[in-house]
Amino acid sequence: MPLGIILKRAITDIKQNLVTHVMTTIVVALTCLVFIFFSVFSINLQRIADRFGKELAIVVYLKKEIPQDRIPSLYQKILSMDGIENVRFVSSEEAFKRLEGYFRDEREVLEGVDPMFLPPSFEIQINRAVYNPARVRKIASELAKWTEVQKVQYGKEWVDRLEAFSKAVRAAVVASAILLLVMAAFVVSNTIKLTVYARQDEIEIMRLVGATNGFIQGPFLMASFLQGITGSAAALIVGLFCYEYVLNIIGQTSLIRSLNLQFLPPAYMIAIVFVSGLFCMAGTAMALRRFLRL
Amino acid sequence: MLSDEQAVIELREVEKKYAPDIVALEGVDLAISKGEFVFLTGPSGAGKSTLLRMLYKAEEPTKGSIMVDGMDLSGLSKSQIPQLRRKVGVIFQDFKLLFNKSVFENVALSLEVLGLKKEQLASRVRQVVEGVGLADKLHRKVVQLSGGEQQRVAIARAVVNRPPIILADEPTGNLDRKRTKEVVALMEELNARGATIIFATHDDALFGNTHRRVLKLKNGKIEEM
Ligand SMILES: Nc1ncnc2c1ncn2[C@@H]1O[C@H](COP(=O)(O)OP(=O)(O)OP(=O)(O)O)[C@@H](O)[C@H]1O
Ligand SMILES: [Mg+2]
Repeated sequence: MPLGIILKRAITDIKQNLVTHVMTTIVVALTCLVFIFFSVFSINLQRIADRFGKELAIVVYLKKEIPQDRIPSLYQKILSMDGIENVRFVSSEEAFKRLEGYFRDEREVLEGVDPMFLPPSFEIQINRAVYNPARVRKIASELAKWTEVQKVQYGKEWVDRLEAFSKAVRAAVVASAILLLVMAAFVVSNTIKLTVYARQDEIEIMRLVGATNGFIQGPFLMASFLQGITGSAAALIVGLFCYEYVLNIIGQTSLIRSLNLQFLPPAYMIAIVFVSGLFCMAGTAMALRRFLRL
Repeated sequence: MLSDEQAVIELREVEKKYAPDIVALEGVDLAISKGEFVFLTGPSGAGKSTLLRMLYKAEEPTKGSIMVDGMDLSGLSKSQIPQLRRKVGVIFQDFKLLFNKSVFENVALSLEVLGLKKEQLASRVRQVVEGVGLADKLHRKVVQLSGGEQQRVAIARAVVNRPPIILADEPTGNLDRKRTKEVVALMEELNARGATIIFATHDDALFGNTHRRVLKLKNGKIEEM
């Protein structure tokens, strides 16, 4: 049967049962909204964690009295350790210059301070591929044992926590996706059940005059597909508005602005709409198999 | 008796029991050849509707085999049933109309299931509805029609797709003399154009002096008259 006829019949069906269909669409939209909320949260969290993770480093402060000629061999020693991506030496002078840089216009406060008062250090970057908090801890404690080392800092433990949190949120996204699947399938199949019951006579008559299963099922499948895509599209619009609204309230600080928050990527949104449509259709197909005794 | 090759409908030792002990049909052997016009009669409860229902696979025989237009109905899968029903136009005793839809929509349904679009089927539907004398009620809802008018809608829907086989189950049960004559004339015309027709009725007047075959059902058995 041509798609145009199916679409026409589906729209007639929806019009005849508008309230039920609208309610179903709203439930689909709410379910999608839960999923969208978690997705936006997760995606941005991941972006933040990624960004700070890149800057993640172990800083090894050396004792000030270390002679200059020991530096290259220490450098080599660190570089040969497992999982080290990059090592950079920061001399006392360079550290002082950085400090000056932070103060910028108020540089005068550093006047008279010995440029060598800061300890020299190594900044170590961990290979991201092998990165994990336990490994960082192990490398740090190893380094702390060296006699040349004054102090080891890897103060970005919060990045670890962020990473762990982001993992939990991603799990919530997966869970909400499953929830979406089950809910959408359940709600839509129930609506279809009601519709099928209400039109049992009509379906029976269609069968008697030679309608194929496709002819009978087509409009139901189309109607549920429409519910799926309109519900999820509505949820995306509402989600986007909520996102903009919240960003307007909290997004005024330069910290938040520097995080470069974003809503869902376009491909992700298109995927949500289509997958939602397909889930609703699949739920209906299963319901029809049962109720139409195919 | 006609030879088997020509038979478009053939029943062999068909038995139909409704559980556990109601025997609707028993040992029915019957062959109807292509282009025949057969009356099926018998008292109420004799099994006329049951016999017809088995021919479009709304009911399965408990024993025996049925062939319709070369198809062995017992071997017919669910997905093949629509093919059978498109060949068999049925005028149901209880009409089986969509009461909240218009005359046009009801009659058009037989063509829509074939995949025809509205503009393709409109003129054909109008013509057939006119043929049963309901041209002026084309867009009325069926629920607003009289019993006789509804029966004529059922007739129009059964014949609009020009099925090669027509099963008419009491198609004149609600009609007056004049309308009854018209319906019989319509069936004669369809038969003249090649359709095979089984006309179930207990109105003796319809077949009292016919030259056609009359099958009489009695206690689930067939007697030819
Ligand atoms: N679904 C059913 N379950 C049980 N018994 C049935 C069923 N359908 C029909 N019967 C019985 O089968 C017998 C034949 O019924 P059928 O409807 O074929 O009669 P009929 O000849 O069409 O009668 P009428 O002239 O009143 O339409 C009757 O005794 C009826 O009670
Ligand atoms: Mg009957």
